[in-house]
Amino acid sequence: MAAKAGKEPVPRVSMPLDPPFAWSVGNWIEHFFDGMKEGKIRASKCPSCGRVYLPPRMICERCFSRADDWVELPVTGTVRACTKASVKVAENGDMVDLESPEIIAMVQHDGADTCIAGRLEADDASIGMKVEAVLNPKAENALDLLAGYRPAG
Amino acid sequence: MDKEVAIVGYAQTPYVADFNESREMMVLQATRAVLENAGIKREELDTIVTANNDYLDGRTISNMRLVEPAGSWRKNESKVEMDGAFAMLYAVTRILSGDHDIALVLGESQASVYAGILPGIMMLDPTFDRQRWLLNEVSAAALQASAYMDASGVSEDQISGVAAKNLDNASRNPVAMRSIAGADAKKVKASRPLYSPITELMMAPQCDGACALVLASGKAAARFEKPVWIKGLGFAHDSYLTERPLDTMSSLKMAADSCYSQAGIEDASSQVDLAEVYERFAHEELMAYEALGFCEPMKGGAFFDSGATKMDGKLPVNASGGALGANVECAAGLARVIEAAMQIRGEAGDHQVQGVKTAVAHGQSGICAQENMVYVLGGE
Repeated sequence: MAAKAGKEPVPRVSMPLDPPFAWSVGNWIEHFFDGMKEGKIRASKCPSCGRVYLPPRMICERCFSRADDWVELPVTGTVRACTKASVKVAENGDMVDLESPEIIAMVQHDGADTCIAGRLEADDASIGMKVEAVLNPKAENALDLLAGYRPAG
Repeated sequence: MDKEVAIVGYAQTPYVADFNESREMMVLQATRAVLENAGIKREELDTIVTANNDYLDGRTISNMRLVEPAGSWRKNESKVEMDGAFAMLYAVTRILSGDHDIALVLGESQASVYAGILPGIMMLDPTFDRQRWLLNEVSAAALQASAYMDASGVSEDQISGVAAKNLDNASRNPVAMRSIAGADAKKVKASRPLYSPITELMMAPQCDGACALVLASGKAAARFEKPVWIKGLGFAHDSYLTERPLDTMSSLKMAADSCYSQAGIEDASSQVDLAEVYERFAHEELMAYEALGFCEPMKGGAFFDSGATKMDGKLPVNASGGALGANVECAAGLARVIEAAMQIRGEAGDHQVQGVKTAVAHGQSGICAQENMVYVLGGE
């Protein structure tokens, strides 16, 4: 909105700090990352109700218990939600146009009860579509171990 | 709840892209206006609950310098880092404790200060989702919309229609920031594409502003004119967005069920005259129709098509234009309560709906409406 008539805009100052934070990803996510280095998808499982969390969670919200059983899941799964992104978020918080749209999907791996949000390498997507994870076991950055998803088969 | 807590005053600043005043002066404007509206002095406030957010303000303890403008110097005061509708919950419980008679509730933020949609990204799980830079509030809402559309058969045209309705309603609300008189669904659908199906006009616009209300105990309310009673309230929290079905607002339904049982509402579609819903995205209003019991599950699109939620329908929703007309973080849900109370008091001006006796107001917090708050309000 334009400044009020007859009034100068309020001067702006920016925050003179760029405070860095460094989270420990925790033992559960570390175990998940270590698994992908060997090409494996590891999910945590609640010993009480059997709910399978992927990405792994430490605590089962339903049973209030440590989800410390582990299961290995296949790379295959089903799209539960998807969107075609025409924009991405720039570092200043603005949404800027992408040169070409990309698909973001919520994928439920076979055997899991929860979803992973990831990039899907496809021109189009629909709910119910079968997909598989693309792993990159040699990735230097742990976040790149799961490169994304592609149509299964 | 039977005449235990009443809304006895309300105020909203204009909602604008840049208030061009300090946060403190903006809050002072809202506080003075609400005290004047209620007809009380600052000294009469027993307790103050504000809604604001450290990350949005760029400083910790964001209520620290609000002591002066919120009138809370040497008073019982605290803040909630959520929507103002939740701050109101804490003020109501303080009054119900019997320790306080008059409470001020205030929600505020300034989008002109913070960096676009980055604060929403800070809500994500920091060890995984946030680092991958794919999810943000808009892309997450788009995923929610896709799941809902697949389950319910709701179309992009229907979602666009909701936005058009609210943007047109906002043209009669003097405090709204964004409005389009006579907006149609085509224009909404053709606006800038963000994350399908969401276009720019389906997303609530970030802005600056503050709103406030004064609550009074049943005993204290007697001295005020036209008290609006809180007949019921309910709230519920759901799982993180990747760990729950996104096609239904189940925590909103839980909140509504709890609220309705207190308010004696058995059939919301016939007993509620008007609703103000905090729709951060247009599709969420359709999902809310279902969760609030205005129609059957997965029938939100058909209920919208029936015209029931238009200004002249049997259950107008967001006559104010809703959050699609103005979305101040920490205030927009509280503004829904204020708008519902204004309708009951017959003070909504050009967007007044006739004969509103019972109204529902909804607030939400978190990505994909993870937490929900519902009030039923009524007059005498």
